[in-house]
Amino acid sequence: MLIIACVKQVPDTSDVKVDSATGTLVREGVPAVMNPFDQFALEEGVRLRDAAGEGAEIVALSMGPPQARSALMKALALGADRAILLTDRAFAGADTWATSYTLARAVGALGKIDLIMCGLQAVDGDTAQTGPEMAQHLRLPQVTYAERVTLDGKTLTVKRQTDTGYEIVEVRMPALLTCTPPADFVPSTPPFSAIIKAKKKPYEEWGAEKINTDADKLGLKGSPTQVKRVFSPPKRGQGVMLEGNSAAAVAGELFQVLAKGGVL
Amino acid sequence: MITYEFSEEQEMLRQSVREWAAKNLTPRVQEMEKNKEIPPDLIKSMAKMELLCPTVDPEYGGSGFDAVTAGIVGEELGRADYTASVPVFYLVQASWAHVFDKYGTRECKLKHIPPATKGDAFIGIATTEPGIGSDLANMVTTITPNGDKYVVNGEKNYISGVREVKQYGGGHVTLARQNLRAGTRGMTMFFLPLGLPGIDITEDEEMGREAISTGGFHISNVEIPKENIIGKEEKGFYIVHEGYEFARAIIACVCCGAAMKSLENGIKYIKERNAFGRAIAKYEGIQFPLAEHYTRISMLRDFTYKALHMIDLEQEGKASRMEVSKTVAMVKMFCATWAMQAIDDVMQWQGAFGYNKECPDQAAYRAVRSFTLAEGSKEIMKTIVARELLGKEFITYR
Repeated sequence: MLIIACVKQVPDTSDVKVDSATGTLVREGVPAVMNPFDQFALEEGVRLRDAAGEGAEIVALSMGPPQARSALMKALALGADRAILLTDRAFAGADTWATSYTLARAVGALGKIDLIMCGLQAVDGDTAQTGPEMAQHLRLPQVTYAERVTLDGKTLTVKRQTDTGYEIVEVRMPALLTCTPPADFVPSTPPFSAIIKAKKKPYEEWGAEKINTDADKLGLKGSPTQVKRVFSPPKRGQGVMLEGNSAAAVAGELFQVLAKGGVL
Repeated sequence: MITYEFSEEQEMLRQSVREWAAKNLTPRVQEMEKNKEIPPDLIKSMAKMELLCPTVDPEYGGSGFDAVTAGIVGEELGRADYTASVPVFYLVQASWAHVFDKYGTRECKLKHIPPATKGDAFIGIATTEPGIGSDLANMVTTITPNGDKYVVNGEKNYISGVREVKQYGGGHVTLARQNLRAGTRGMTMFFLPLGLPGIDITEDEEMGREAISTGGFHISNVEIPKENIIGKEEKGFYIVHEGYEFARAIIACVCCGAAMKSLENGIKYIKERNAFGRAIAKYEGIQFPLAEHYTRISMLRDFTYKALHMIDLEQEGKASRMEVSKTVAMVKMFCATWAMQAIDDVMQWQGAFGYNKECPDQAAYRAVRSFTLAEGSKEIMKTIVARELLGKEFITYR
């Protein structure tokens, strides 16, 4: 069984600032970490690899500048068997479509795969598009918002979040999952011995020539997204707590507030 | 040519410890200080991260860290626990397990070190007595050979981790006089499990770092086996300094971590706090001390890692005992004072809140104050540096 875990290096803050002149994210002085959603997907992937038994392998895959190596080294310390960083100036400026195309080509170069584990979204862009787009490029079935996955032969049973609760779906591999952690998920921190082992695991850097790509579909050139404006939303004011003796009383009060505000 | 960077593994470990501490340690510091206890599950979690007794040989459950790597962990724990209780637990055990591992017998190490690396025991140090601190030659505790055993009598005081040993098990690397006529040349080091009959433990109240205990114990006709002797008989005074130097350098890391974290707290505060129509960070009365503290702590931090690197070089036979001793003393001389000065100003910037029990910086101030004394006072550090500069014939106390 071959599992691919896609990981992205992101700035270590949810309070990302935007350069008002260029409209890009300010990354200087902000430490970089592995995207938390990706860490959950990776840890689920490692668990599935272990459940699959001997011969199963998990490859951590990332696209980014050479500094993204540190996110992959952490992936290796968390249990990935090997890691590949897609790094090339030709990949620079990619939107989610060009990124998913590039990642999909790399997956193609790895041969027959069984499962791709992605985080639901990256905390720096919050698009939640790259995983589903990869599935489209690779013509794979996908399950999004996966919270818990179990493996039975070639079939995965996935507990996925919905707006109203959960649903359980089955999917046959090969497939792609985008994962989101349950509320009680505690990300692992690798101990020293795992860090030392990580350094001894295979790590490769691949450029565009390695993955047989169409140059027009890479980086900025291959990105159909046009960013009109990026801005920090104004901070929201303080909320109002409604208190009452019963749900009905609070609902009544809420109705009055909404009616007075012209919402209803 | 100087290489001046941490290895990739060291950077990864720093990041890992920082993440672990942000999730597991910092949120519990206030509770620990209130309950005056490091929760056992937190120590177990440190063991899982392989942070306990980190330089010890993997055969005895350690990770085989070098001193620089052990220092990185100390710095991160200093940042994360502003009461310095967990850093003290870590550094005392790291330093004395380091010496125990290097000079102890295989039987004694197999028995006592693995429980400590698993978080089921504590290893401390006991040299100080009610009447002596720096002046080890005048200690009263004695160790006497008696057949195939040794008998220990005396008293130790201001010892870290006495309650922890009572609670979890373990003991203290201890120094006592064996040849009563030979002064420091007649001292023997040994491992003293505090659960033995004849040991009576008392606890003290301290002004800071309240989640780790400090206290003392009377030792009355306590028998220990020969295997508990660490190093050669009557050579304990020489090897005790290896432990002290290791601990002093890690203390400097803890001070750097605490001071830098406090300065970061301060920077956030002064940018947000307004007085007389603008952020107080705009005033030079705030900016100048900030710049000075940041510069001083940055220089201290770099020099501290140099001292740790020299400890590592000494293990490889590439640095002399005296060079290490001097460099570590230079670091330890100022680390607590400079950290206290930085934290003191951060408290001042925060006005009345800086003196409030809710303010982490006041706890850091009380904690760091202990390091002007612990593991060798700042005055003794000056004596060591002067001795190395002038020669032994100028030693004050001879």
